Amino acid sequence: MVAFGTGSKKIALELLVIAILLAVIPLVLMGNAYYELLAATVVLFSSMVVAWNIIGGYAGQLDLGAFAYVGVGGIITSELWIKAGIPPLLGIFAGGAASLLIAVIIGIPTFRFGIKEVWYALLTAALVVIFNNLSRVLMGPTDYYLPPKTGIIYLKFNSYEIMYAIASVILILTVLANLAIERSKIGYYLKSIREDELAAEMIGIDTRRYKLYALMIYSFFLGVMGYIYIVLAASFSYRMFDSSSSLSIAIMGIIGGLGSIEGGIVSAMVLRSLGEYFRSSFGSTVPGLDLLLYGIVLVIVGIFQPEGIAGIINRINKAMKKKR
Amino acid sequence: MISPELLLQNSVDGIFLGLFYSLVAMGLALIFGVMDIINFAHGDLLMIAAYFVWLTSVDLSVDPTVTALLLIPLFFIIGIGIFFGMIQPVLGKEPLIQIAVTVGLGLILQNIALAMFKAQPKAVPYSIFNFSYSLGPLTIYASKLFIAVISIVTMYALNVFLNKTYIGLAMRSTTDNREVAQLMGINTRMLYAVTFGLGVALIALSSSLWMTFGQVQPYLGTSFSLISWVIVAMGGLGGITGVVYSGLIVGVAESLGSLFLTPSARMAVVYIIFFLVLWFRPRGLFGRR
Repeated sequence: MVAFGTGSKKIALELLVIAILLAVIPLVLMGNAYYELLAATVVLFSSMVVAWNIIGGYAGQLDLGAFAYVGVGGIITSELWIKAGIPPLLGIFAGGAASLLIAVIIGIPTFRFGIKEVWYALLTAALVVIFNNLSRVLMGPTDYYLPPKTGIIYLKFNSYEIMYAIASVILILTVLANLAIERSKIGYYLKSIREDELAAEMIGIDTRRYKLYALMIYSFFLGVMGYIYIVLAASFSYRMFDSSSSLSIAIMGIIGGLGSIEGGIVSAMVLRSLGEYFRSSFGSTVPGLDLLLYGIVLVIVGIFQPEGIAGIINRINKAMKKKR
Repeated sequence: MISPELLLQNSVDGIFLGLFYSLVAMGLALIFGVMDIINFAHGDLLMIAAYFVWLTSVDLSVDPTVTALLLIPLFFIIGIGIFFGMIQPVLGKEPLIQIAVTVGLGLILQNIALAMFKAQPKAVPYSIFNFSYSLGPLTIYASKLFIAVISIVTMYALNVFLNKTYIGLAMRSTTDNREVAQLMGINTRMLYAVTFGLGVALIALSSSLWMTFGQVQPYLGTSFSLISWVIVAMGGLGGITGVVYSGLIVGVAESLGSLFLTPSARMAVVYIIFFLVLWFRPRGLFGRR
């Protein structure tokens, strides 16, 4: 599934390409704060999609609840800072752990062998709706703001350039986690579960345990990203538990190609930027146009190109090799 | 303290609601049983059908219940169209892709509705069932009673259909064992198409009933999807009776949940039931397999 091959030289090259691309983007934007914020958001979304690849791409479980984990992690980190004075640099780990805990509670019953994939998808889709309702009761309809302090221990800066850099670091860490999983025993087990769960169980893989590992890594990363998401959005409320954002993470992951890191990054960057463009130009007259676009692309990809963008990259790679 | 009258009132409302919910979930259960696919766009199809009901009953000034006569055949055809256009091409593919395609359909429907009708809720201005009886301490709304009665009649008819007609028997045998049914000469492709059409037609009927007292807005589908999934998880493979019992449990639980807790916690109660069922009885309360 890895388009560029699996040698460690090639992986280093791949990381270098991603790092250079991430470094070039701010130069192009030339200090326009709106575009810098947009770029930071797009990079953060890409990291969410790459994290989703662990549960969706490698383990083959359709997780539709990304923003349940983002919301829990982000809100807990922020509340720890506001209420208890714990700096977010430490707090993000607590936030990530909280998301992980919730994910495990969801995963234990649905990852049992012989339970259809669909129940996990349903439970995660419902989880976002429930957290939305519950947090509306608990937090009320108000927006909460972070304290005005900035600095590295708060992971919060007034300059969007630095926030962009933080998002880029998170993206690279998520990519590294993906690569580590892909090349480890867990990765091979997960792929065998995705291809044929019955066969995996037959040769003695504890399918539930490995699916849970994938879920734990994924939800922890999303919980950590939640706080950065709040910093970029400047406030938080019950509206963080958003079904359509959660769906769009899964959609970008599928369109990128299951199990493909670079496909996920490309699809997140393209779709998220396009969606943002639609929202800023038509958001007031035709709301939801960005989500309509995601839905249409998802159906088309599902029917005609289930390998997603990764399939296209693979094909181009093969064609290039033939020419040589 | 909650008075016994209020408790009785909420239980009766819950039973009416539960019967309606089992009708809503019936289409989903039928498709899940026969085709082994959960249609994520189930609730969103109901929402779109409800907009059709609103449009036709406002434009033609007819009662929402009458629109069912028009909508049931229309949505049967739409269902078959969706099957051949979207479901059939992904049948052999990974489960994740199969689910994702219906997720995409739901997203498309929701945002088309949002673009066309905006987020403002719409309701039909009148219905012949807008009155209520007093029965001792109980108040019975005619529309809710009517919905419950129609739901029972429909499910009885469906039961006859599944037990007495060739197609119905083919559906039941495919639910029991797909390979054997195929070997016995059942054309599964056509059967799938008919099942999908029937499932979507049942949604159209539910939406006509819903509009006698309810409102429609683009996100209506989400709550109906959630309720239908819970019902199918609980009783999906237990036949019609399984779906009815599960519907009643969800209806009463939701109604009592909004009485004992806050009304906004209604969905949380439904979700917790969903979760507990998956934890303790992953094959459903009334399942056979």
